[in-house]
Amino acid sequence: MKQALVLAAALVAVSASALSAQKIVIKGSDTLGAKLVPMLAEEYKATRPGINFEIAAEGSTTGIAAIIDGTAQIGMSSRKARPTEMSAALAKGVKMKGIVVSFDGLAVIVNQNNPVKALTRRQVEQIFTGDITDWSAIGGSPGRISIYTRNTSSGTYSDFKDLAMKKRDYAPSSQKMAGNEQIASEVAKNPSGIGYVGLAYINDPGIHVVSIDGAMPNKAAVHDESYPYARPNYFYTNGELTGEAATFVEFVLGEKGQEMVEKVGFVPIR
Amino acid sequence: MPEPRKPSNVSFLRNRARFRLLGLTVDDMIRLFFGGNAVVSVVVLGLITIFLFKEGHSFFGDNRRNLETYRRAGLEYVDYMRQQERDHTALIRWLSDVRVRQLRELTEVQGMDLAAANAALAPFDDFAGSFSDTVEDLRGLVSDLTDVASATKTQFLVNEDKRVQKQQLLAEGLTEQAEQVQIDPVDFVAAAEVLTGTLPYYRELAAAFEEALRAVVAEIPAAVAPGQQPRLDRFTQLVADYIAGFPAVEQRLSTWDPNIPVGFGEAITAFVFGRQWLTASFWQDWYGIVPLFTGSLLVAFIALVIAVPMGVCSAIYINQIARPAEQRIVKPCIEFISAIPSVVLGFFGIAVLGQTLRALSQFESLAWIPGFPFSERLNALTAGCLLALIATPTIFTLAEDAINNVPRAFKEASLALGATRLQTIVRIVMPASLSGVISAVLLGLGRVIGETMVVLLCAGNRIQIPDFTKGLAIVTEPVHTMTGIVAQEMGEVVRGSIHYRALFCVGIVLFFLSLLINYVAQKVVRRYKLPGS
Repeated sequence: MKQALVLAAALVAVSASALSAQKIVIKGSDTLGAKLVPMLAEEYKATRPGINFEIAAEGSTTGIAAIIDGTAQIGMSSRKARPTEMSAALAKGVKMKGIVVSFDGLAVIVNQNNPVKALTRRQVEQIFTGDITDWSAIGGSPGRISIYTRNTSSGTYSDFKDLAMKKRDYAPSSQKMAGNEQIASEVAKNPSGIGYVGLAYINDPGIHVVSIDGAMPNKAAVHDESYPYARPNYFYTNGELTGEAATFVEFVLGEKGQEMVEKVGFVPIR
Repeated sequence: MPEPRKPSNVSFLRNRARFRLLGLTVDDMIRLFFGGNAVVSVVVLGLITIFLFKEGHSFFGDNRRNLETYRRAGLEYVDYMRQQERDHTALIRWLSDVRVRQLRELTEVQGMDLAAANAALAPFDDFAGSFSDTVEDLRGLVSDLTDVASATKTQFLVNEDKRVQKQQLLAEGLTEQAEQVQIDPVDFVAAAEVLTGTLPYYRELAAAFEEALRAVVAEIPAAVAPGQQPRLDRFTQLVADYIAGFPAVEQRLSTWDPNIPVGFGEAITAFVFGRQWLTASFWQDWYGIVPLFTGSLLVAFIALVIAVPMGVCSAIYINQIARPAEQRIVKPCIEFISAIPSVVLGFFGIAVLGQTLRALSQFESLAWIPGFPFSERLNALTAGCLLALIATPTIFTLAEDAINNVPRAFKEASLALGATRLQTIVRIVMPASLSGVISAVLLGLGRVIGETMVVLLCAGNRIQIPDFTKGLAIVTEPVHTMTGIVAQEMGEVVRGSIHYRALFCVGIVLFFLSLLINYVAQKVVRRYKLPGS
């Protein structure tokens, strides 16, 4: 009996230590966490067997909060941490450090049957703030505009506000969707819909990307900043990473990782 | 004094030593086991309630501070002007609406092609353009003052953060680091003076604005499409009303005082009657439950309109008319609906039901149905239909029980007097079981109000009070609900923040709503109990 107990305790201790050493917990942005990071994790696992990943993609706010609360090693975020978040981290003794891992452009999408193919920045602002409510005001066929946005915790939600709407609030008539995929599928089914998605989603069926002031969202336009709605994506960490998590970040920033970044539809950092 | 009775020595009355553990007999233990289970469930319920109130009650204090900051930093002052600007934007919308209607009339009724129609509307467009331009100065002023007030508020919030940081550092015993945290107090008075100092400029601006408006409206062109002339005439009236409102705005601005404290009652009414639920705003967050409450009610109403006839009628059929063989098949079928997980129903709603309803609404021949045609497939109607499916088994089962409880004697007496079967059902069985049926409907309503997954997936998540002026057509508007908002935002809020507490308050409202529904259901059953049942 005693021996069995000792054995069990030893087993528990061994497995617990193995788990803590081999598990990387990543939380945060839906933009990064839906496709890119899981794929990077799979690739990384292939080179280093025995590593476990726990990835939760619920929005950038949760990612930064996870770093502050110490419930994750890496917080994915598609926006810069706010000053209030920085000070909250400081208060907890957390050294927030942001690493740019990729760039992302926000594409404005409409239904593929919509005759509108180009918009100006001012028009985009007017549409999403609700100043313009009908497609005929911008050269489309008459119909009330249905606006699809992300939900409020998403980094995309606040980034789009900063990049495209001069920080004004969204129209009250906007519908809040939990992810990029939902926005794309609603716009694909709604002839008078408009929304925005990350570059990884612009090839979804049934939608059409609108050019903004004549520029289309692509790698070249994001790098030379001619496309207005582009932003860096971050990994936030508590100070310098160590162990497996650090190697993983190195892998992401390395050649192989950045290749995958491009493959998924983001813009690599170089 | 009578002698005490001697203990009898009859063997079966002898008190044998019973088995006891910790002074308890087996009987006691059994009683304790069953009673203990009941106590545990009551205690858990109590704990949940206490937790809900513990997390939610401090919201009102937080909201009071939130509103106080709104006032002291001068955001309220700027919003008076902003409201004026917004009303102007609403007038612009009226104009663009008239334009769309004219375009339709020209192309569809008079058969012009698009280019020709646009050319005919050119004078109107010029007018609309110059009308839009009149607000530019006011917009500029609002934008400038917005920056001033925002800066004040941001500084105040950063200070609050620093204060928290200081407290945390002190709690950790790091006095040196705590002393390094510099807090520059916000000079609210100076900030307010910057804002109120613009009042003379605003007065000039408003006078010029009024003049410009009158000048532009005097030049209003006649409608190209004759059918739209009444709307244009209405527009001139609206502009006149708008201008008539200017003195009131000026009055509010000149009497504004940043130091009037916000009462506790104001914080409560801002939540209970607030018409805006706006979070993560750069300007001011509002936590008003009205749009969510109306959304929940609208979806519940649609669900009940569908589910009550379905549930009650099938209950009557199964209990009174159906043959035993039918009963054996149909009853389990209806009850099986409640076995479908709501998330599955939600997917079905997005992919099949919403899609189908939207496709149906596009048919010309169905345009007479209120709310048709619509373009968003996720709306109150889609969610309501699915919730009806969820509520039907509840209503059916309970209503069937109620009908079953009507004494046989009633029915037999009625038939013996020569009433037909239909008369018996309508005049005897239904009135006798009415209280049970009503409480069944109420409990079905409780199910619908509390359902989360379906509304989150299918209601469209638009946080806006449905436009009741549309009449029945509001059923196809996207809405957001109380359960939906808690589910959508609870995962993303910072623990202990005002937003977090606001969500708990929404939970408390839901809690009371369910309590009320259940209480009324109980009351109805007791009040109309049949004699002798």
